[in-house]
Amino acid sequence: MKIQKLFQKTLFGIFMLFGLIGISTSMLAIYTVDSQLSQEYESNAKGIAKTIADSSVDIILNRDLSALQSLIDQFVEIQGISYIYIVNDSGEYLAHTFVPGIPDEILKGDPNNTASIQRSLPGMGDFVEVSSPILAGVAGKVHIGMDTGLIALKIQRAIGQQIYLFSTIFVIGIIAAIWLVNLAARPIANLLAYAAELAREQSSAADGGVLVRDDEVGQLARLFQYFSGTGDLPAPARPSPGARA
Amino acid sequence: MLGASAGGLLVPPWSMAHGASGDASGLTDTEIVLGMSAAFSGPSRGLGIELFRGASAYFTHVNRAGGIGGRKIVLRTYDDGYQPNPSVENTVKLILKDRVFALFGYVGTPTVTRVLPLLKKFQNEKTFLFFTFPGAQPQRQPPYGEFAFNLRASYRQETEGLVDNFVSVGRKRIGMFYQADAYGRSGWAGVRRALRKYDLRIVGEATYRRGSKFTSVMRQQAQILKNAKADAVICIGAYAACAAFLRDAVDNGLRVPIANLSFVGSENLLKLIAESQDEPRRYAELLVNSQVVPSYEDISIPAVREYRDLMQRYDPKPPKELLKEAYTPFAHSFVSLEGFLDAKLMVEILRRMGDSPERGKLENAVFSVSDFDLGVGVPVSFSANRRQGLDRVYYTVVDGGRFVPLHDWKGRF
Repeated sequence: MKIQKLFQKTLFGIFMLFGLIGISTSMLAIYTVDSQLSQEYESNAKGIAKTIADSSVDIILNRDLSALQSLIDQFVEIQGISYIYIVNDSGEYLAHTFVPGIPDEILKGDPNNTASIQRSLPGMGDFVEVSSPILAGVAGKVHIGMDTGLIALKIQRAIGQQIYLFSTIFVIGIIAAIWLVNLAARPIANLLAYAAELAREQSSAADGGVLVRDDEVGQLARLFQYFSGTGDLPAPARPSPGARA
Repeated sequence: MLGASAGGLLVPPWSMAHGASGDASGLTDTEIVLGMSAAFSGPSRGLGIELFRGASAYFTHVNRAGGIGGRKIVLRTYDDGYQPNPSVENTVKLILKDRVFALFGYVGTPTVTRVLPLLKKFQNEKTFLFFTFPGAQPQRQPPYGEFAFNLRASYRQETEGLVDNFVSVGRKRIGMFYQADAYGRSGWAGVRRALRKYDLRIVGEATYRRGSKFTSVMRQQAQILKNAKADAVICIGAYAACAAFLRDAVDNGLRVPIANLSFVGSENLLKLIAESQDEPRRYAELLVNSQVVPSYEDISIPAVREYRDLMQRYDPKPPKELLKEAYTPFAHSFVSLEGFLDAKLMVEILRRMGDSPERGKLENAVFSVSDFDLGVGVPVSFSANRRQGLDRVYYTVVDGGRFVPLHDWKGRF
């Protein structure tokens, strides 16, 4: 299918526009999903850490640590929570969920820190760690590691879905644009052929049906016929809305 | 793993026609129904199966002799695969649907720990939990201790005994290998507590995931404890993982005494090592396992003689309905002996309730047990302040391919 030069620029423009929209919306989506999920993760983790901290008081003070372990084992089943550890006021690890052991990076860290921190643990991944004090910190602290890899996975999934949808619309749009451009280009091609033939053959030129059209192409064809001296002066064309007087 | 279907009975199936269904107390004119949720599948299935077999031997013996006041004992069993959620579901079923008279012979700290709140929730039902296999603290102290009765010594007592003995032979750098769950933590807490008496701390610790098989690689765990320069290791785990650790520890040059608690399932552990290694002795000679029942080889003990006799006579089989994988039972094992003693004491308690047993009278019946001779050489007593029958811990090592009593720690280690 040959696309008229006149419309090639239009198609290129459509293509560029789609590209621009695709890239800008993807970047916006990445930023939005990343920031919102990160905030939500951190917020949820803080809520969970506080819940565990509140529930731990009685266990740490009155009960066996197996009950504390049982408690955190239930929370670590929540999607996104990768590890939990609880330290007492002297920094001793009372319960944790690490296998095969507590990573050195955590052992070397400050167990009394309560600010959110980013952690990268070899063999485990990247995490945002939030903490909550137990009994205002005098009974210890709860630390929860949220897997940031899961956020990246969710971003990838969201972007993938967006690209899939966008590609589908793009392909359908391009096919529709080519079809419409082709529909508009065919009478112009006929007009061009008629004009060329009229210049060569004068009265016997085949019009390809353009002379009977009631649009601009038909009017142009009749004008060419008039200028070539083989037809009458066509009636004046009604100006299109918005055209200059 | 999801909860499995109803399972093994200790009396012929036709007797279930008069079973507990429809009855509100787990009791009919012909039966007393007890409920058991334990591991009958998965890497720890040997524990549930052997405990069941030991209890079956004694219950069958009593049933064949006419039962208790004419009622036969029925043990309604469910498989929880040593996983907490199925265990909770099974217990709800046993209490609300099967309406069992009492819960009996549960296996596993992570499972029992999650089941205990159910007993409080249904405290009006007066369904008590009898003689769990784990020795953890939650079923021995508030707020749930009042709903359970224990026969065996606790993990705290086992770990304390191991620490005391290791320290006595100069092994003060004690490391730990434990299951990353409530069971492991219970043992860890026991070791930590025992070491504090000597102003010592755990020098290194490594963990594994519950459900690990013998094929699991435990090199990292062995390396952690080697790096910590542990001169003894106490393991709090089940047999498959502990056997894998023993194998990898020895293969990686960690040649120190490696202790296990009674829960490990000593015979299953030894069997895995013996079947898979060319020189099993090289591995087994490092083992020292604590036990909460005497050696089943010591036939000078009356209960052991009775156990061996009834195990041979009835050759109890694991519940067919619950078996998903082939299992070859042991002729004798510490776990089945414990199940046997649990059943023997359970029968004694039920007998003390006379001809009209009621759930509401169970607690008083248990408290009436005072200086009872279970046949293990130590009298058993219960009271409102004492809900554990035995305190004694035994230590065993491998000699000639089997576990035998350890009397001389210095000579051995």
